[in-house]
Amino acid sequence: MLHCPDLSLPVAERSHGRASVAIDRRAGRNRLTDLAQRGSGKAFLPRVAGDVPQVVFLNTSGGLTDGDRIAYDLQVGPGASVQSTTQTAERAYAGRGAPARAEVNITVGAGATVDWLPQETILFEDAWLDRETRVTLAPDAACLMAEAVVLGRRAMGEAPRAARLTDRRMVLREGRPLWAEAIRITPDWLHRASSPALLGQARAFAVIALIAPGAETAVSRLRAVPVLAGATVAVSGWDGRCILRLAASDGWPMKIQMARMVRTLGRCVPRVWQVTGDET
Amino acid sequence: MTTITGIRIRMARMTTIDDLHLVQWLSPAFPIGSFAYSQGLETAIVDGEVRDAASLADWVGNVLVHGSGRADAILLAAARRPDADLTRLSDLALAYATSAERATEMQEQGRAFLAQIRPITGRDLPDMPLAVAVGAATAGLSVPTEGVLALWLHGLAAQLVQAGVRFIPLGQSAGQAILSGLATDIVALAQEAAGLGPEDIGATTIGADLAAMRHETLNVRIFRS
Repeated sequence: MLHCPDLSLPVAERSHGRASVAIDRRAGRNRLTDLAQRGSGKAFLPRVAGDVPQVVFLNTSGGLTDGDRIAYDLQVGPGASVQSTTQTAERAYAGRGAPARAEVNITVGAGATVDWLPQETILFEDAWLDRETRVTLAPDAACLMAEAVVLGRRAMGEAPRAARLTDRRMVLREGRPLWAEAIRITPDWLHRASSPALLGQARAFAVIALIAPGAETAVSRLRAVPVLAGATVAVSGWDGRCILRLAASDGWPMKIQMARMVRTLGRCVPRVWQVTGDET
Repeated sequence: MTTITGIRIRMARMTTIDDLHLVQWLSPAFPIGSFAYSQGLETAIVDGEVRDAASLADWVGNVLVHGSGRADAILLAAARRPDADLTRLSDLALAYATSAERATEMQEQGRAFLAQIRPITGRDLPDMPLAVAVGAATAGLSVPTEGVLALWLHGLAAQLVQAGVRFIPLGQSAGQAILSGLATDIVALAQEAAGLGPEDIGATTIGADLAAMRHETLNVRIFRS
């Protein structure tokens, strides 16, 4: 509970942050060409093996609450490849006055590839988070996205009943929406969550979306991946999309399962995910 | 009979004609093949998650209020507005499709719907996913959007309940009782969605989405989604 805000404070200071990174292909290599950081928004590039740089975004405020704002921008130049993630899980804490807002903007140039693999979002009781993720692709650009949401920390016996989340993500190609998803969690949804049409007995859910020309050919490989106890996985592919959804009993089996899927797609799993040890 | 009464009658008659068109276009008898689609409900029945009247009512209610019902109602309402960008809304409808079969379902039903609507109305509407097509077609009717949405949602509910009644199976009266019980949710959602736009779309039926995707790999399938 280190980062939990003290709600007894009459006026808490709101955190604002923005981190912007540009990666371009120069002289046959992927290079950092711009980095701007403001407020609680930071980004760094840890040393990695191979030529695909890893951009790690970080919100130094430690969590999102009442009216906080955080934005991450990533610009990937033509022909470049980059993998990006977040340093830790995003914690959405109680917000009663106004929603916290998070924004992710990724633009991907012609022939470029981006993996946007942020760590999971944990919804605490009374959380109120409004997030928008937008990936704009050039005609033959590709992206892999993975997003996960965990309802409270099961080990702590937490099960939020009044949290709110709107989590919209959209991938556009040449300005036209190609794939979109909008998660909308309300107290009414949480009240009904144990319905099998919503979440059943699961406490965590995730989506992995590969948007690339011919992406649907990955479906059979993903369907062949062994599924852990406590997780349910389904995959579908059509028209340059390969979409995988999973529901799990908690954040941990889910993350291991996600890592298996990311590896199956021929990607490295970001080290900050800390799932080494499961190399299935 | 006063003149005022005469006017009232005439207005009532004009409205009634549009009302009838609306009921006809959204009727289960309108040949768009809705009965062939279960939106993943078939998988849930095979898995035993939906097995009786109570679990069917729960499933359908949640798909309406928190899933494809709400998302499609918002798109339909947006497509009825005078300044609607139908190409953009069609892209959005397909972008929000949760699986290959769902994408096919909304496109094939949209095609079948418009194949009937074009000769009836004389309007040359391009092919669109069903919810957008219904919005565009009904934009020419003088009926309130809440009414269109309520009928549309009722049709979706009836389609899913019928799928359950046939496949679980349940008695017809159990199906009708479920449909009656959904009326309050349908009317509330229709009123809400009539005032919303695409930025308000939210669909969080993880279980139903998983079921719709896993439908592709069921060994035996009666429904097309």
